[in-house]
Amino acid sequence: MNPFKGMLDKINVESVELELMRTAYGSTTTLLSKLDPRILMVWYLIFAFAPWFFFDSAKLLSIFAFVTVITAISKANKLVLFLLCLGIIGQMACYAIVAYFLGGNMAALAALLTLTLKLATISLASIAVFSNIDPERFSDALLSFGAPAQLAFSISYGYRVIPVMVEEYKDIMLSFRLRGHAPSKKGFLSWRYAYYLLKIAVLAFYPLILNTAKRIRTTIEALETKGFSYAMNNNDVKRLKLSYLKIKAADIIFLLVSILILIAIILI
Amino acid sequence: MERVLRPERKNSSKDLMLFILVLALSGIENLIAEVLPEFQLGPIEVGISSFIFVPIVLCILFDSFWAALAAPIGELVFADLILGEFGGLGEFEEVILLTMGLYIAGKMVKDVTNRKQIAAAALFAFIFQDLIGTFIDMTKVWVGIEDFEAISGLPESVFALEMIDFLVEFAVTGIIFGLIPTLYFAPRLYGKIEPLLGIKPRLIEKGAALNVPIRLIGGAIIAVIAAAAVSMLSGAGFNIIEWEPEFLDQFGQWYIWVPITIAAIVAIVVIWLGKSNNGEGQDINV
Repeated sequence: MNPFKGMLDKINVESVELELMRTAYGSTTTLLSKLDPRILMVWYLIFAFAPWFFFDSAKLLSIFAFVTVITAISKANKLVLFLLCLGIIGQMACYAIVAYFLGGNMAALAALLTLTLKLATISLASIAVFSNIDPERFSDALLSFGAPAQLAFSISYGYRVIPVMVEEYKDIMLSFRLRGHAPSKKGFLSWRYAYYLLKIAVLAFYPLILNTAKRIRTTIEALETKGFSYAMNNNDVKRLKLSYLKIKAADIIFLLVSILILIAIILI
Repeated sequence: MERVLRPERKNSSKDLMLFILVLALSGIENLIAEVLPEFQLGPIEVGISSFIFVPIVLCILFDSFWAALAAPIGELVFADLILGEFGGLGEFEEVILLTMGLYIAGKMVKDVTNRKQIAAAALFAFIFQDLIGTFIDMTKVWVGIEDFEAISGLPESVFALEMIDFLVEFAVTGIIFGLIPTLYFAPRLYGKIEPLLGIKPRLIEKGAALNVPIRLIGGAIIAVIAAAAVSMLSGAGFNIIEWEPEFLDQFGQWYIWVPITIAAIVAIVVIWLGKSNNGEGQDINV
């Protein structure tokens, strides 16, 4: 039980903040992070859609295995993977218990396995791709796919600002607890204390919302003084901004090999 | 030439501000809800799925389509993608449902100081997206499993589980972290947050009754029922063609697109109705 307990202890605000930081200022050493972001997104789309077209569990398992290998290469965060596994096991157990009580048999579990396999494959693919894509490159890929510039900018801005906001939320919580008065009696199952903490967790959004509004206005006004809205509707500016994205031989090879493996799995 | 500055749509920078504000805030509220501990009562999970009051309050205060659209996208990009909870196709329905729920909720409120109107809007936003989401989930399990009805006890168990799950969600996320904080926050933030963004506060129409955009809600609900009916039909279709597995392999998953396509069409129609329904005097972006 001990390793599991150690993992469970790590699921807290700090670990999520670290994961966010890693995504925002992430490593550029893994195989996937060196590839072109557009190719990665096409790859992700292929593997997010492919599982829905099969019912055969052997084929699904092969696709799942391939995506697992890619995820292992991409050095995804172990904590995130652990959470994913926990979720899958929990879900399976749920359906099994309820099917059992309602007079079904365990064949239900086998049938649900195919659905769970599909969902797990998609989740793994998303972890592999999105923990390796730099937010800047991600937003530029969206832009080159024709997404509105406002959306692309919002996403890359969000990735940068959300770790700061998590930090701020933590500070607000701490200052509330410092100035506040914790309940002296914990009550049954320490419900008084839980109530107190949850109330603070909700109230802490009040300063956070106002601070965020102020910060975002400053950012947008700074952008607009540089002519952001006009520039982003101008095709020349867009071309200049996206000129650094180039599809190289490695990108093509990666995509082709993946598609070939997928076709091989389907045909066999 | 293209270099000529084209006249920009009015207030697009205000829209961008609202979009980013709701995007970032709903991203962070989902992340925080994700790390809070959950406990399990048998197969039912009791936990906070999101601090849904944050997008609800902002959509009521600003009555903007961009604010409504930003909430599910923020959840998608900052919570689901990072933590690997991205459910593929299912997420697109969630975007449509939550956007529609929040947008209609924002339209419903006429008087931001009226607690009854705020309460109605908050409840509507939650129930709309979660109840319909529950039904779509059930049909998805139906479509995703080959011989769903052949296995005794499975349809009933999935239905029971999803409904209990919905009720727990309603009590925890909908009431405790939806309705009650919304009633607390909406009047307090009104008139405080708008100046920070350089936007005029929403007009209060004193004494105005709750605006129920019947055409909007009606259109949304009829179409969702249609989507559900079509997926039921496709479920029946599965039984008919069950003896022909090759046919199933080729065309089986085609059905999954039907509800999604219909939901997308509905969303577009609803937004179009909302735009044409837009009365004067409630536009805040003056």
